[in-house]
Parts: sequence; structure tokens; C-alpha cells
Amino acid sequence: MSNIRFEQIQGRGSGFYLLTAFLSALIIVALASVYYMEHNGHFVTGMSNRIVWGTPHVFAIFLIVAASGALNVASISSVFHKKMYKPLSRLSGLVALALLAGGLMILVLDLGRPDRLIVAMTEYNFKSIFAWNIILYNGFFVIVGIYLWMMFERKMNRFSSKVGIVAFLWRLILTTGTGSIFGFLVARQAYDAVIMAPMFIIMSFSFGLAFFILILMASYKWTERDLGDAIVNRLGNLLGVFVAAVVYFVGIYHVGNMYLAENSQVENFILFNGGAYTQLFWYGQILLGGLLPIALIYSPSTRGNRSMLGLASVLVMVGGLAQIYVLIIGGQAYPIEMFPGKDIVEGYGGIATYVPSAPEILLGIGGISVSLIAVIFFIKFLPFLPESLADEVADPHHKG
Amino acid sequence: MATIFAQYSNNLSGNSDATYRTTSFHESVSNIRKMHPEFLKHKRDETLRKGVRTEENSLKECINCHANTNENTGHYIGINDQGQFCSSCHKEVSVSVDCFSCHRTTPAEGH
Amino acid sequence: MSESINRRDFIKTSTAAVGITTIASGITLTTFAANKDPVKNNKRWGMLIDTKRLSGQEIDIMVNACKQEHGWGSEKHSVGDQKPSWIKKVKVKDRLTQKETSLPLMCQHCEHPPCVDVCPTNASMKRNDGIVLVDRHLCIGCRYCMMACPYDARSFVHEDLTNQKAHMPRGKGTVESCTLCVHKVDEGEQPACVASVNSEAIIFGDLKDSNSKISKTLRKIQSTQIRADLNLNTGVRYSGI
Repeated sequence: MSNIRFEQIQGRGSGFYLLTAFLSALIIVALASVYYMEHNGHFVTGMSNRIVWGTPHVFAIFLIVAASGALNVASISSVFHKKMYKPLSRLSGLVALALLAGGLMILVLDLGRPDRLIVAMTEYNFKSIFAWNIILYNGFFVIVGIYLWMMFERKMNRFSSKVGIVAFLWRLILTTGTGSIFGFLVARQAYDAVIMAPMFIIMSFSFGLAFFILILMASYKWTERDLGDAIVNRLGNLLGVFVAAVVYFVGIYHVGNMYLAENSQVENFILFNGGAYTQLFWYGQILLGGLLPIALIYSPSTRGNRSMLGLASVLVMVGGLAQIYVLIIGGQAYPIEMFPGKDIVEGYGGIATYVPSAPEILLGIGGISVSLIAVIFFIKFLPFLPESLADEVADPHHKG
Repeated sequence: MATIFAQYSNNLSGNSDATYRTTSFHESVSNIRKMHPEFLKHKRDETLRKGVRTEENSLKECINCHANTNENTGHYIGINDQGQFCSSCHKEVSVSVDCFSCHRTTPAEGH
Repeated sequence: MSESINRRDFIKTSTAAVGITTIASGITLTTFAANKDPVKNNKRWGMLIDTKRLSGQEIDIMVNACKQEHGWGSEKHSVGDQKPSWIKKVKVKDRLTQKETSLPLMCQHCEHPPCVDVCPTNASMKRNDGIVLVDRHLCIGCRYCMMACPYDARSFVHEDLTNQKAHMPRGKGTVESCTLCVHKVDEGEQPACVASVNSEAIIFGDLKDSNSKISKTLRKIQSTQIRADLNLNTGVRYSGI
């Protein structure tokens, strides 16, 4: 494999300016929504005392989970020593940090008292998985930052493998922590499941890689650089495996829950008679986010087709958002089972209503825009992308 | 209007109870001015987390003593209002006061 | 020092001693001057609610008493489930017998509160005497405690508030819940909801004092915790459900 040359993106194309202007506009709108929500109070949102975490959290958790998965490509190179992924490591680290930044931004701006962020950073309750997550997220920035530096700085290249292992382990702990935010809640039937932690890990593999593939293909297409099929097909196959694994974990989670009589009602709700949540589950999460991408990636008629892979990645992301929506909001909508054997006829209960409000959605979209704009800026001004990833250059098994 | 506020622009002017107190109830003014963030944080933990509800730990008592009344209507003026006890200094130094999004700014009715 | 005490002195001294002891014990029971010492864990406050003796109207009175005491319930902008609900009347119907029971549901002041475990900033806390509170100075409004509470006991303030009660600061962006009227308990009084209905239906007292009315009643009658299987050891117990 010949030497890979990294290069920032030359030229002053109008595409760059248009894209950043568009994303900046979305960010400004998101900040305006935050001001509106914070100034008036959360009554302007669709959230309530029954649905305490809404659309912003759906986007935030989606981005945070995807962030740790986006680092996979770099880990496969540094930890598992697959040479073909090495040129992609820099971009992988960047996408991971950018997605995490976007997700955290949404989370922090939705707090009831975002002005008290300093309190969150200084008063720690070490029994709280939430507090641990704050430490893990901050640590992720530091570790991946160091990792990227090791990759950029020629003198430090020999350490990048070791830091890569630390980064890999750290993100496994981080994603386990994110899944445990829900998994540790005994109060609600829909959560309270240890499988949440590994399921979130496998979700992160899938969503993160989908983001990475799209960003990779888009950056090479729009800068007219060569991106060979060897890399694209490898990544595509990997995505197929991850999506299938997610479907497996989701299956185990729901079948397991249905088997336990105490959780069967919430399963009936999500899977059969939950209205919008049931539709999102079957059509959004399973069909669009699971079966269709697998078909696109492996079916002989669409296999190896780059546009189909792009479409599959988009579908994985759509399905991922649906999955997290069903998980977070569906899980809260179903009432807490406080009196087994009795029906609550007044005072509590019933499926809580929730309608995503505009400020919430705009904040979520703003978070994604922050991530994307960060990626665009860094790959433009710093040598993150190899000048060429054509097969002759990138494929270690290329003949002639 | 401006004249009413002007006469209350000093901490110890106005018609609050504190103005008329002859005995010294707490730390010296210069000490309080410098240290009151720490004092307040300590006292709030004593009251809320430990249940020590003495007068010296009570924000209510600060307000009861330092709130002025409007000469014309007889109603208490919010302690955080313009020209009143807190904002007379805080406005000068541009430090926002977080207390009163939650805490009542006037003594309770019937006090 | 004289070896023998004459009878007069003996009677005087012992009467004085007995008298002082009686009065002193009476004083400690009835005088609750502002406590200069931090609350200790030699007491644990709890409540026993007898749903058989509590009518639906009485529960409504309890809810109103709480609203009056703490100043919640008149928020202008919050709608539906956004409205605060420190205590609510819940009516349950048994699926087998079709029998309906009403009960007041508020923060259960668990011994092992899930809300305290999950709070990232230690805002959600349990006092030494068992009362679970939100230290709203530290609350960042993340609402994780609301996700974790098995009793849906907590409320989030969705709008700006004014004219708060002097003894109950509450504000936008923080989480709140039943305080077991800690400000009254610390003065030796009963929670507002307990005081608003007849004393046989709701008993408030010290669970660690085996001679208190609540402890004696708990030993005598059958009672339960809501969601007892979670092993939270709640301070609020119910009989008749």
C-alpha cells in the first residue's frame, strides 16, 4: 500500500459557503428556540410531568450513541490492526467528537437551568449514572483529542495504537453508561433491563457507521477526490452486519420482555396497540431501519451500488431516530404500573399524550447542524482527508 | 418616581427595619459585602439540608428586615427591585442575583 | 458531708427532682424552639394512611391544603400534565372484585430513594430524619429524578412563578415534590394535609419511636407500601389497599 497523503481541501468552492450558510442558519434558529424555551419555561414545549424527556433528548441520545460508534473505524485500524481502515482514522475521530459535541449541546440547552452547568460540573453524586456519563463524555473529548494528535503528529504515530486502545475501551464504557441511564430505572417497565447497555453498544456501531459512511462519501464526491470501491464495499458490508446485530438485540429485548408477565403490558403497547409508537416501531425502526438497509446492502441487484449504500445509511439513521423515539417517549408514555392487579380509574394513568413541538424539533436539528458544520470546517482547514482513497492507493490487496 | 427610588439607593436608607436597628445583628458591613456569597451558601445548606432553621440562617429574615415599604401604599417593595437592597450594589457591579426566581421578594403577608 | 439526710430534705429534693424531670420531659416534647443542631437520624418521619377511613372529599381537602400551604396549583401557562402535582387523589379499582378505593398519592419518602441515587448534582437528597427533598439551589432541571421515581411524585416547574409562599421558594426550571411539610415538622407541627383531615385516617409520626401512635398502629393493623417489591422501604404506608 503506497503512502497515503492527507490534504486539506483546496479552493473556494461556492458549495462550501452555501453549505455552511445553510447549517449556520439552522443553528441560529435552534438557538432562538432555546431562548424561547428558556425564557418562557418548558410550558411552550410538548414535554410535561409525564413525558419529561422529549424530542431534544431523542436527537441528543441519537447523536451521542452515534458518536461513540463513529470512532469504530479508527479503532478497527488502531486496535485490530486492519490496514485498510488506517487512512480513515482521522476522519473517524473527528466525526466522533463532532457528533458528541452536537448531542451534548442539545442536552445542555434543554436543561431547566442551563445556567447551572457549572454546578453539574462541580457537584458530583457518584452513585448517579448520569454524573458518571458527564465524566465519561468529557473524558472522551480529551482522549480522542489526544488520539487525533497522535495521528497527526508524525513523531507520535507509534503511540497512536496504544491511545487507540484506551479510546476504544473508553467508548465502550461510555456507551454502556448511556444505555444504563435507562437500564437502571426500576420504576418503568420499558426500561429496567440490563440488556439496554449492550444494545446501546451495538446501536452505536450501526448509527455511527451510517453517519461515517455518508460523511465520507459526501466529502469525497463534493471535493471530487477518488474514493475506491474497496473501502466503500468494506464499510457497506460492515454496516450490514451491524444493522443485523441491532435487529437481533432488539428481538431479544422484546421477546424477553414479553416472556415476563410483569412486563407484558408495555410490550403489548409498543408492539401492538400503541398507535403512533407501534407504527414507528414496525415501519420506522424495523422496516426502514433494519430490514430495508440489510436488503439494500446484500441483495444482488443493489449490492456494491454506492447510491444504494448511501440510501441504506440514511434509512439506518431514520430507523435509529425512530428507535430512540419509541424507547424514550414510548417508554414514558406508558404509565407506571403502581398497583398490580388493579386499574387506576382516576388521578393517574392512561397513555400520556405527547406532540413534538417546533422549538424541540428545531433544537434537535440544530444539534445535528453543529456536528456537521464542525466536520466541514475541520476537514476544510486541516489535513483530515486523504488526498485519494482510490483502490490502488488504499487497498492493501490491490493487484497491479 | 425617581426621587422615591433615589432615597432608597443606599442599603441603610429607606424605611426598612434594618435602618432602625441599633444593635448589630450580624457581621460588619464590609465583611458581609465581601463574603456574603459564601455566607449564603453555607446558611442555605444549614437550613435546607440540615434543618437548622435559626434566624441567622434564614433568608426570609434578611428580607423581613431589609425590605422597604412604599410610603404611599404601605405595601412592601420587592427587595430585588431597582434601587432596593440587593440591586443597589448588584447593579453597580453587574453581578446577577439568582435567588429571586424562586425566593419571595417581600415579607409574607401578615408579617 | 453528713452521712444521713433528714426526711424533710429528702422529700424536698426528690419532689423537686421528680417535678423537674416531669416538666423537663414535657418541655422537650412540646417545645420546638428553632433547633440549633443539625437534624439527626434518631427519628424517621412517616405517615400511615387508612384508605378505609378516608373519603374522596377528604382527599380533595388534603390536596387543597397542600396547595394553600405551598402555593402551587395556580400556574397560568402550564396545561394538562405540565401542571404541578405534589399530591394527587388516585382512584383504583380491583380487577377481580371491582371494588374502588381512593387514596392520596405523594412522595413516599423512601429509605432508598431512586431519585436520590440518580441525581447528578446531589440536589435530590434525603435528610437524616428520612425526609426526601430537592435542594433547588443545586437542581439543574435535568428531570432524571422524575424518570426514576416509581410513584410519579415529582413535578417540574414549566413557567415563571411569582408571589411564592415565603416558606416555600419554588421557581422555573427546577423540580419539586412533597416535602412532608418539613418547615412545619421542624417546628413540631404536622404536615398540612394531615392536619386538614380527621386524625384517625392519617397518622403522622416518628417511625423509629416504638411508642409513637404511628408505630403502635403499624404493629396492630395490616398495612402495605405501594410497589413493595421494589424494596424501597417507604415512609408512607397505606392500609386498606
